[in-house]
Amino acid sequence: MKIDHSLPLEYSTQENQMKILGFWIFLGAEIMLFATLFASYFVLAPRTGSGPAGSSIFELTPVLAETILLLTSSFTIGLAIHAMRLGRTKPMLVFFGITLILGLAFLGVEIYEFNHYIHVGAALQTSAFTSILLTTLGTHGAHVTFGLVWGLFIMIQIKKNGLTPQTANKSFIFSLYWHFLDVVWIFIFSFIYLKGMM
Amino acid sequence: MKELFPIKQVMGFIFSLVLTAVALAVYFFDMSFTAGMTILLVTAFIQAGLQLVMFMHAGESEDKAHIYTNVYYGIFIAIVTILGTLLTMVWGYV
Repeated sequence: MKIDHSLPLEYSTQENQMKILGFWIFLGAEIMLFATLFASYFVLAPRTGSGPAGSSIFELTPVLAETILLLTSSFTIGLAIHAMRLGRTKPMLVFFGITLILGLAFLGVEIYEFNHYIHVGAALQTSAFTSILLTTLGTHGAHVTFGLVWGLFIMIQIKKNGLTPQTANKSFIFSLYWHFLDVVWIFIFSFIYLKGMM
Repeated sequence: MKELFPIKQVMGFIFSLVLTAVALAVYFFDMSFTAGMTILLVTAFIQAGLQLVMFMHAGESEDKAHIYTNVYYGIFIAIVTILGTLLTMVWGYV
């Protein structure tokens, strides 16, 4: 395996570069996946049937908490990659850990929020609106959950093997995934919550 | 310690919080649907661009052209899907 030392570790082999490009192609597909969910949401949002409308079930406080948690975690994973490029394994793992803890907190708030929805009579089967709302939020939440497990295993690998072209590549790809989830959340925050509460 | 917090990323983070605060205006102030949606569209897309370029380093490798082409393609299909759906199902030919 040819290692190019002029490049950051995560780009240092041909295979690593291909993996990063490949992951961007996957993210392109993810953009389209979420676009279909948003398209369905915009069509179905007014179809509340006998269930509640968005404006009566959305609460600003938990939504704002989720937004700040996810924005901050996106910042800390960026700092982790920066520390990785400086070759500082320990601070990198600290930032990585903070990112996952913030992600876990986000998930906690989201679970509280879902519980609240079900409590006020907005379950998955209540109306077309609640179905697409919970499906869209749930798809994002499932991505975050998957990211938490994935990130944890990468941390264990770095702990065991240190920073190698492989572990650096995995970490960088994980950071792309995590930033992407933040981008999706920004659109959920703007066009589902804020639009609904406007 | 200081080298672990690059000024560019710190500024990016602060800017993203500011954008969130600006978006919140649609909740706290009474405004028309058009004005509100304009604010949300502007803040959301700047926010997304910020993440893409600053945090995801989209333009730093030699695959830059491929990455951007692929992202633009994804966004194009996303916009066509959403606007097309709105056109046929919501705005409609009524």
